[in-house]
Amino acid sequence: MLLEVKNMDSGYGFLQVLWDVSFHVEEGEFVALIGPNGAGKSTTLKTISGLLEPQGGEILFKGDEIGGLEGHLVCRKGVAYISEELNLFVNMTVKENLQMGAFTIKDPDEQAENLKFVYELFPRLYEREGQYAGTLSGGERKMMAIGRGMMSRPSLLLVDEPSLGLAPMLTNEVFRALRTLNKRGATILLVEQNVGKTLKNTSRAYILEKGKIVLDGKSEELADNEHVRKIYLGH
Amino acid sequence: MANAATESAIGESAIDKIDQTIGESWIQKVTGWVFSAGGITICLTILVAIVASIHKGPYILVNTVITGGMWALMAIGLALLFSVMNIAGFAHGEYFMAGSLTAYYVMQPIGKYNLDNPGTFMAYVGPLIAILAGTLMCAFLGIITERLVFKQLRKRNREGWLLNCFLITIGLSVIMQNGHQLIFGADFKGILGYWDFPSVPILGVYISMDRICAFFIAILTMIGFYMFMMFSTAGKTIRAVSQDEDGARMVGISVDTVHIMTFALSCGLAGLAGASLLFMFPAYPTVGVMPLYNSWFIIILVGFGNVAGSIPGGFMIALFQVVTRSYLGEGWEAVVPVLLISFILIFKPSGIFATKVRTVWDE
Amino acid sequence: MANEYDVQKKGIAKFLDYLCLTPLGAIGFLILMIIPFFPPFNQDYLLRWFILAAIMGAGAMAFDFSAGYIAVVNFGFAAFVGLGAYTSAIVANHWSIPLPLAMLCGAFTSALLGLFTGAISLRMRGMFAICLTWFIGIALMGLAIKMVWLTRGMLGLQTPYFFPPGVSNLYYWYPVLGVSLVTWFILKRIARSHLGLAFKAIGQNMDAAKTSGINPTRYRIINFTVSSALAGWIGAFYAHFIGILTPDFMHTAKTVEFLVIAYIGGRGTLWGGFAVAFPFIWFTEMLRSNFDYLPGINLLIYGLILILIMIYYAGGMAQFFQYLVDKYKDNPTVRWLTT
Repeated sequence: MLLEVKNMDSGYGFLQVLWDVSFHVEEGEFVALIGPNGAGKSTTLKTISGLLEPQGGEILFKGDEIGGLEGHLVCRKGVAYISEELNLFVNMTVKENLQMGAFTIKDPDEQAENLKFVYELFPRLYEREGQYAGTLSGGERKMMAIGRGMMSRPSLLLVDEPSLGLAPMLTNEVFRALRTLNKRGATILLVEQNVGKTLKNTSRAYILEKGKIVLDGKSEELADNEHVRKIYLGH
Repeated sequence: MANAATESAIGESAIDKIDQTIGESWIQKVTGWVFSAGGITICLTILVAIVASIHKGPYILVNTVITGGMWALMAIGLALLFSVMNIAGFAHGEYFMAGSLTAYYVMQPIGKYNLDNPGTFMAYVGPLIAILAGTLMCAFLGIITERLVFKQLRKRNREGWLLNCFLITIGLSVIMQNGHQLIFGADFKGILGYWDFPSVPILGVYISMDRICAFFIAILTMIGFYMFMMFSTAGKTIRAVSQDEDGARMVGISVDTVHIMTFALSCGLAGLAGASLLFMFPAYPTVGVMPLYNSWFIIILVGFGNVAGSIPGGFMIALFQVVTRSYLGEGWEAVVPVLLISFILIFKPSGIFATKVRTVWDE
Repeated sequence: MANEYDVQKKGIAKFLDYLCLTPLGAIGFLILMIIPFFPPFNQDYLLRWFILAAIMGAGAMAFDFSAGYIAVVNFGFAAFVGLGAYTSAIVANHWSIPLPLAMLCGAFTSALLGLFTGAISLRMRGMFAICLTWFIGIALMGLAIKMVWLTRGMLGLQTPYFFPPGVSNLYYWYPVLGVSLVTWFILKRIARSHLGLAFKAIGQNMDAAKTSGINPTRYRIINFTVSSALAGWIGAFYAHFIGILTPDFMHTAKTVEFLVIAYIGGRGTLWGGFAVAFPFIWFTEMLRSNFDYLPGINLLIYGLILILIMIYYAGGMAQFFQYLVDKYKDNPTVRWLTT
């Protein structure tokens, strides 16, 4: 197992958000974490990526405990976090943002190779190479964030609500890009509110409600599940 | 946290896109800048500098240029603290004082040696050693401050960060000023000069070698600083953290290391200013008060956190001071520039260069 | 079964409550009133320390009213105090009016400045407002130095004393206690009213306050005006106690003294600063007379304590006091003393 989360509690100070959360992601998988607003999906990713300290439980990445490890150290272990807020360097150009994404790569040849890889994946970024990240459009910014995350060639990609605020056409593009990345070997844990598209694109999914995992299984099966259909798919 | 910045950036982007499609010529770009608040102020400053120099004498220009460079360096240090760590540095003047003090004591044996043995290698390099000592000592003090004080605060209490840090820096200022008085005495510790060489005539005025060297130190430091921030890895990490701290973590940057570097840089710059100007400002406990005020005036003038803008800002404030002193007499530089800056604060809080004030300001 | 004693007790308790004093506070105040009669405190020079402490303490309360409630640090505070002092002195010198009236003039001038400051810091968030007050303070001090025709600048302005010189400090002690009590009364009454609630709301979260229908500008102006008026009034008292005024009283360093006292005492509590002022001034004066070869060590220690408090114990001395009260709250005496 690439990522194994065991009985994790997390929250913000006195406010506990996650209770006894357990799930796992195998290498090469494209797994989703779905749930309504406020369920704790972002908190989950933030805790795994090291921006938040867990209050209980274990987080194992490639067998090593990473719970409580600082954000930049988790990144260096091979986990890339694409946050909902994107956290782009707005006063740096697209290229500089990508270069910062490769911060953990020491070899300049490898950096150049990764840059080429990202430009192939997102030709639009190559067009806007010299533009300041703060001036990109909504969809371009998501691509920017994903591209920057890929620059370090992570083993695990944590993506938080990439379709938020995007028109349906752009949402499809983003999902397409993620599928491509997955096909090329990247393991992805996706957090989303758009349940329909997510279940279509992933192999497995977990349902998170009010800080607890309530359901899990193959995405196809979950799409037929009565609870899921009633609450998330509207029929 | 990046939201307000991105919000305003999106507004900008719409205009950018329109410009791109219409195709703004460089003439339009230049005239657009000239008539912005920043452009007007810079042109006005240059005009006033020239007119006042013609009227009152070239020493106006000379003093402005010499001190302006150093105030700019200090303001850069203060702006760094703001933009990277969101700390309002009220003790910044005390690092100027520490640099001044260190340079004084290092210069004592060197000066004596130079007096006894004129014309040696030491006559050229000695003062540089003293100035370097001042800079390094302050960088070191900055690192200690960060580790012992601000790191502890960050661990314990993140609420009301801006105000708490401000209060802490007040405490630091009090400690350093009184520490100086207690240990080293309240007397003025000055030197006659760094470099014992004849003055150089420029524009009909004889300018001492100390002043010329101070000017070049300032310029070289600014260039070095720019190159460091733009091209070195460390510099890029500092810029990254100042733009988005979480984003920096997410790409593997150790924000902790950046904090140490920022403090070292910030205080080091203040120390450099203090050490370089020892011949003008002797070391005594409260010598840092005026430099502190000046740094704050500058960052308010150009907008909090605007590091690049601090450079022209430094010269502008220096000009205000010099012209006020020259036309109104001694002592008024405590009043007039203050009132001017208050105007800016009231009517254009984002400064003349319209620095996009980050969300974290809205506390 | 009601009896004479009960009615009387209710009367006193009601009176204390009106003054916003707990029984403990009232006892403390009484102690202050009678302490000059007990050795070793019955020496005149020690009484001077007490008076200075009360002045600083009252000032700290006025300072805390802004800093602790609406979270705006009046960083030019000493200049507001000094403005009241100078106004009162100048008015009294030129127009020989009774000193209490002159003091009111001082309060009025500072109030105007506070009104002006509060008004122009309209849209400003915390940091900007702090900078503005700081610069006003610097400008005022500069003006006091330069306008020699009015203030005699650095040479110092002679001010008329309340009582003929040579008289015991005891004559000043009770008036200063009166000034302190009035300051406390005004500030605490406002703090307890809906105004005080609004202040605290603004201080905690400006945006939340706005959505609750509180107009931060209006309340900020009120807060500042009251704080400044009292600052000016206290300054005026100081002027007629000390006999000579110099502009360096308005220096930022003096504001820092008020600030340190208020924050170490406990921000937002008002009384914390007043209580802490006494050991502080005592310590300062004692060091000055006995250890004058260590100049400034008191300030150094205060700076250190301020930093330690900010990092480790943000509520200051008042928080510690509250901790003690909570710890022993089962003790009926403690409960009676503190309600």
